[in-house]
Order: sequence, then C-alpha cells, then structure tokens
Amino acid sequence: MIRWSFMFHILGSLVVCIGLCMLFPLGFSFYYGDGSAGPLLISAAITVSLGLFLYLFFRGSKVKGAISHREGMAITTMGWLAACIFGGLPFYFSGVLPHVVDCIFETTSGFTTTGASVIQNVEIVAPGILFWRSLTHWLGGLGIVVLGLAILPFLGVGGMQLYKAEVPGPVVDKLKPRLKDTAMILWKVYVAFTVVETILLLLGGMNLLDALCHTFGTLATGGFSTKNASIGYYNSVYIDVVVTIFMLLGGINFALHFQAFRGKPLALWRDAECRFFLGFWLLLTLVVTFNCFGKTYDSLGKSLQYAAFTVASITTTTGFATGNFELWPPLSLCLLLLCMFVGASVGSTGGAVKCMRIMVVLKHGYREIIRLIHPRAVLRLKLGDQVVLPEIFASIAGFIFLYLGLAAVSMFLVAATGVDLVTTITSVMACIGNVGPGLGEVGPMDNYAGMPVFAKWILSLDMLLGRLEIYTVIILLLPRFYKK
Amino acid sequence: MKIIIVGAGEVGYHFAEWLAQEQKEVVVIDIDPGALQRVSNHLDVQIMTGSGANPRVLEESGLKSADIILAVTDKDEVNLIACFFANVIAPHIQKVALIRNPDYVFYREALTRDILNIGLVINPEMEVVNSILRIMSAPEVEEVNEFVGGRIKMLGKHLPEDSPLNGLKLMQLPDKIERNRMIIAALVRDEALIIPKGRDTLRGGDFVYFVCQSRDIEEILRLFGKRINLLKNILVVGGGNIGFPLAKELEARRFNVKLIEKDPQRCQMISAKLKRTLVLQGLATDQKFLEEENIGHMDMVVAVTWDEEMNILSCLLAKQLGAKKTIARVNKVPYIPLVKAIGIDHIVSPRLSAINTLFPYMRRGKVISSVSIRGKAAEVLEAEALAKSAIVGKPLKELQFPKEALFLCIFRGDEVIIPAGDTVIEPGDRVLILSTGAVIPLVERALIGKR
Repeated sequence: MIRWSFMFHILGSLVVCIGLCMLFPLGFSFYYGDGSAGPLLISAAITVSLGLFLYLFFRGSKVKGAISHREGMAITTMGWLAACIFGGLPFYFSGVLPHVVDCIFETTSGFTTTGASVIQNVEIVAPGILFWRSLTHWLGGLGIVVLGLAILPFLGVGGMQLYKAEVPGPVVDKLKPRLKDTAMILWKVYVAFTVVETILLLLGGMNLLDALCHTFGTLATGGFSTKNASIGYYNSVYIDVVVTIFMLLGGINFALHFQAFRGKPLALWRDAECRFFLGFWLLLTLVVTFNCFGKTYDSLGKSLQYAAFTVASITTTTGFATGNFELWPPLSLCLLLLCMFVGASVGSTGGAVKCMRIMVVLKHGYREIIRLIHPRAVLRLKLGDQVVLPEIFASIAGFIFLYLGLAAVSMFLVAATGVDLVTTITSVMACIGNVGPGLGEVGPMDNYAGMPVFAKWILSLDMLLGRLEIYTVIILLLPRFYKK
Repeated sequence: MKIIIVGAGEVGYHFAEWLAQEQKEVVVIDIDPGALQRVSNHLDVQIMTGSGANPRVLEESGLKSADIILAVTDKDEVNLIACFFANVIAPHIQKVALIRNPDYVFYREALTRDILNIGLVINPEMEVVNSILRIMSAPEVEEVNEFVGGRIKMLGKHLPEDSPLNGLKLMQLPDKIERNRMIIAALVRDEALIIPKGRDTLRGGDFVYFVCQSRDIEEILRLFGKRINLLKNILVVGGGNIGFPLAKELEARRFNVKLIEKDPQRCQMISAKLKRTLVLQGLATDQKFLEEENIGHMDMVVAVTWDEEMNILSCLLAKQLGAKKTIARVNKVPYIPLVKAIGIDHIVSPRLSAINTLFPYMRRGKVISSVSIRGKAAEVLEAEALAKSAIVGKPLKELQFPKEALFLCIFRGDEVIIPAGDTVIEPGDRVLILSTGAVIPLVERALIGKR
C-alpha cells in the first residue's frame, strides 16, 4: 500500500526546494535590471507557500519505516511532475510564454534535460529567466543521476538492478550504499565538473551568464542555449572542443567519475559500457566525418570538428548545435537517428535507451547465433564480468519493447495533428530520448514553437516517460498499483 | 627422522608410502578408522585415530619429538588448525599444509609467516595446472621441468632418426650449437640410463635429457628435426578444480579453448566466470558430440575429470578422431606405464605433483627443487651452495664427489657457467646436479658439508 499523506509530506519539501531555487536567478535579474525579478519572486512565493502547506498539512502522518517499491515510483513521478508544473511559473508570469502548454513544455524539457524549446527568440528573453531555464537543466541532471544510481537500481526498473551490482564491481570500491551518501558524492562530482567547465568557457570568451547557462546545458546533457544559433553562435574551435568533452563526460556513468576522482582513472576504461559508449561515439564520428567531407564541408578538419561535436551532442542526448546538420548527407542523418535511439550510459545525465541495454540485447543476439553453431554450448549472457540473469534480460527486452511501442503510439498521435512525417518521427524520438532537436520542422535551426498544442502535450509526456525509464511512470496508470 | 601425517586420504596415503620406503618413522592420524586400516594393512607406519585439528590428539601422537608435520586432509581448515596447534605445541617443527582453496593461497604470506609459520603450502590441483602449462610450453617434448624460477628448463625428448644430431658424438655438439646453450644430462637407451661422456654417440631413438635456458628452446628443438605447429586449439575435458583454473589460464594466454563438462549446473557456474572459453555440456565419451564439435581438429586434448578411466577413454577417442596431442589425468600410479603404452602423450597426477613439491623440501641441505628421472633411476637437484658445504672453494676435479653424479651447470647471478675440471663453486651459487638414485645420500652429505 502507499502512504499517500507521507508521499505528500515529502513532495511538499521538494516543492519548497524548487521554490527556493527560483531565488538563484535573482542575482542576474538585479545585475542586468531586466525586470525578471518580480515574476521570479512571485513564482517563488507561490511555490514555497504551496510546498509549505503540503509539508505542514501532512506532517502528522507516520513517517516510520523505509519507502516501499511502489512509494518509490510514486514519489519519483510525482516529484518530477510537480517540478515541471511549478517550474513553469516564471515563464508564465514574465510573459515570455503566455500559454500554459508552452510553459509546461519548456519546463518539462528543462527538468528532463531534453532541451527542446518553444521560445522563438531566446536572445530577447530576460537574462534572469534564461538563467532559471538553464538552471532547470542543472537541477534535473543532478536529480536524474541520483535517481539512476540510487533509486532505480533499488526499484529494479528496466534492468537497472544489474547496474547496481555492476558499478562497485571487483576493481572499484563501493559507492556508498545509502541514498543520502550517494547523493552527496555525486553532488560533489557534479559541482566540480560545473566549476571546471564554467572557468574553461569563461576563458573562451563567454560572459558569466552564458558560461553558466551553457555549462548547465552541457553537464546535464540538456541543450538549452542563450543564443538562437546555440553553440554555433561562438564559431570557436576552443569552445566546441570544451563542450564536446564535457558532453561526453556528462554521458558517462557518474559512479565511474567518482572512482576516477578517487584516483582510479582506469575505472572508466575498465567499464564495459563506458568503452562501448566512447567507441560508438568515435566510430560514428569517423563515419560522419568522411561522409560529410566534400559534400557539406570542404575541409577534413572542419568536417571532423562538426561531426565530433554533433555526434557527441546527439548521442549524449544534449542537443546543442554548431551548425545546421539537416544539410548533411542521408547516411549521416540516419546515424544521428541511431544516436537518438542508443543514447548515453546508465547513471549519466543522458537519456534514450542507453548503451547498457543496447549491449545486452546485442550480446543476446550474438549468443543465439553461437548457440546455432554449438548446440551443446553453455553460454551465459555477460556484461563485463557480470552475469545478466534471464529475468534481468527480460526486463531489459521489455523496456526496449515498451520504449519502441510508446514511440510508435506517440508518432501516431503527433501525426494525427497533421505534422509531416520526418518531423513526427524525429520529434518523438528526440523527446522520448531527451535529445532536443530533431529534423524537419524541429531541426537544429528551428524549434518546437510551431507544433500543434496537442502534439506539445504528447511530447511533454514523452519527455517525462523517457526520462523516468517509462516503467516508473506507466505503472502509475495501472489501477492495480493503487490496490492494497 | 619422525614425520606426522594428518589425513590418510589419497595424498596422505601416498606420502606415507613414499616416506616409509625412505625408512622414515611415520605416524598417520585420521578420524576415519577405515582409511587408517587401509594404511596399516599396506604400509609399515604407526596409525592413530582422532581429528588432526585436536591438539590433544596431536600431542599424543608424539608431535614434540617429530621433525615434520604434513597436514594433508581434504579440508583446508583442518590442515590450518593442525598447523596452528603444531606451532603452539612444538614451535620448532616444520609444517607442510595442503591448501586447495585459492583464496587461502592468495594470502600465502599470512600462512607462511606470523602465527602459522607454515614451511610449505601444497596445492596439488594448481601444481597439476602448472605442469600442464609447462607441457604446453613445448608440446612436442615429452618431459619438461623447470629450475631457477623457470629460467632454466630440463627437457626430455626422443631423438628422431632424421634429426641432424643422430650419430653425433657429444664432443662434436659445439659444432651445432654453442657449448653452454645445450647441456646433455642423460640418455635413456634400451630402458637403461646412461650418463654420457664426450665420446658417447647420440643415436636415433634415444631419449635425451638436456638442460637449456628457456629462451633457447626454439633453436634447440629445431636440431631435433621437424617441428609440429604451435598449439592453438585446446579441448579441456572436465570443469572441476583442475579443468576450470586451467581453462582460465589458457584463455588468458590467448588459446582457443573448448571445455566439456557433464554437470549442467557446474557448466553454468564456470561459463559465468570464464571469458572466452566455449563451455559445452555433455560427455566427452560421446562420439557424435565430439564429431559435432570438431574435436579432431584440436591441437591438444586435456582430460582432467575425477574419473581416470573416463579421461583415458576420452583421450583415446579424441586421438582417433584426429586430435594431435593428449594429456590425461591419472591417479593410480600402476596405470601410468600402461597409459603411455596405449598412446596417450602425457600423464598428470595431483598425487605425483604433490609429492614432487614435497620432494625437495624433504631433501636435506639447501635443495631448492628436485626432479626424478625414470622413476627413481636418477634425480636432478637444484641446490644453493652453502659456505660450509663440501663442494665449495675447491676446483671440481679435486672434490671427493661420487662419479655417478654430475654438475650440470652453475648459476652465479645472471650468469650460467658450464663446469669444467678447474671450475670453483662459490658460496651462494646455485648448482644443478644430476645424480643416480644410489648415490643421492652421498650428494646430500656433500651439500650439507661434513668435510
């Protein structure tokens, strides 16, 4: 059973935190005198008071005992939902986005670190609001890492329990077993990366606001920019390289980063998933480089620069752009679609299906082929040194099936609103995979503002489902979940 | 010399047999009267019923007046506790323990120092794995032994008729290869052991024992004639406590390994822990199955299940299908000559391996390792020359050393010296001595140094 009052009590404290976070952008509001202070303060006041109300009203509930599986899923989904709703208030009150659906879409995109935007011209938006918009990425990214490393393995969603055992492994010492400690460790890693990247971007010539916003977008593998042309605005090799590196770092399991910080940089290399992820990036970068060379770009260096950045951006599900990759040859575009599907590592801020699951399914396929050649062979499905038990494999296969099924249904619904085929397919893939830009109407140089209202609702839901590993959200829709 | 053996199992029985033959005073302790009965029926040793882990039993067995305790039960823990109490009751005693669990062996330091102070840890299964790996390092050589930490090898091989060495006098050998790179230690001709002199001739069909440095093996084997291809595909039969670690070592050395194990659950376990080995579930005596898996194309088949008859059968079957070389694990010593006669190339035995490990430990003087040749016909000893030893400080020709024993080579630091009449051994040198079985006690005495 679920202790609802207890759930609301926790939710209340979360909402208060979100409200308090709205005060951070005030510094930029006052510095630039952009008039965003008022809307931010109003939003913060509403959010904090509603949160306090929830917190205090349900305080009397018994808070003894551990959180159960069901409660874990309920609180995860409710928390993200609340963040997506309350986080939209500053956009609404500042008048940047007058429609409720746009506010929800933009905030969901932020907290799920998707980076799909409905703001037509970000360069005229008040800096305070822009900072809040990027801050939602940063908060969402931190949330998702803690979720991925501490909560989902515990809930056993989509084969994540495998990874719980995988990370500590034989070579690296254990991540602290308790959620609170895990969160604290990851917080330190996350902050350290943030500080380093911000400094590097400042050195690259950005001002503090832009440096921070882009750092938030990079590490959370979000993709909100303060420029209409995204990173392409700076047209700087240095910035491209810095952002590429940090996008990749954001796409790697943070537990491995923690090991590296503890003086075991080899942990990154020893991890099978990390090797697969980096290998995948490298391979696709090379293919795209040579595919685009002579067609879209006339020098090999330029081709490599754009290919490395864009493949990293899409496969880590960040969604920054340095150029209009819609002009690329068809093969490269197909590979980008593949990136949208594969995504980054488990335990990173990246989204989509994730390398670990792709690897397990590929290995399973390979195993079946070997079994045909050697009918008496005893073959165990393994990831690194870890055996993937049949029930975990079933959970992973189920996840991929659900992912594709959900994508298909969403595509039908979006197509029903009259959007063209390429836009439909890529917008759904980009949203469910938390990537951001797609192709066609939602390409890197366009945005989601022109999408029909119904499609925006569907895509918002897709972002949330994709972010919370589908199972967590979808389970709340089953009546059985609420039975005692 | 009085020796206490804890455990009358396979290893314990064999140690008791060997030591009793050497006229030592042996006491065997075991908790199982049946096993003890078997020992006392066949061997001239004292027996005692009780647990080897019980300090009172140990004390009553006369531990205080004993020189060595061998703790060789099937249980590592019992062996450890026996050594622990032996250490308490009689601190001077030398302790040898059989430890099978690799996790204990990993903490060898803790076992051999401090509280336990065990002199020698024997892991028969690992010894077998090592001897199989040694065989594989030179697959066409019939016998391989190592000295000086693996830098020096002594190989035993039949000389083929078409070899360039056939008909060569030993003194002419330097025409073919530099003098200090290949040292011929002994020949076996018509089942008789010969310690050859310069005028003796090598003949096709001789079984030649020679000593060389590991890096020269390739070149020397070329002198013997045609080489067979290097090993690539290996079949291991049996995934037990030899087959499994063996497969692990082999896959780490980049061999293509297939492993056949009959127990489905054991298959699951080892398949989870091995990386590249293909684990097959089935019986290695099932001909259809072997054909299906193309066993005829194996370069080597290693059968190491518990069941020795099964090992022999599967080796023969594989050989018939076309497998090039076979190794079988055989426990019963009387089987060994038979098995070689029916065409199995190499035999391994945990029992013999355990004894070979214990062998040098029991020899007196600073003997580091020793290897027996042709049963007990001769022995090669690797020893450190002590300052007080009789072999030190005089030219070799002036030593009073038995004629049936021969200095094969001397290691001084990194240098290998081929002894001549005027060579002088210095304290700290390591010497490799070949001796016939009869004069071993004399050699031992010379090493300890009663001048």
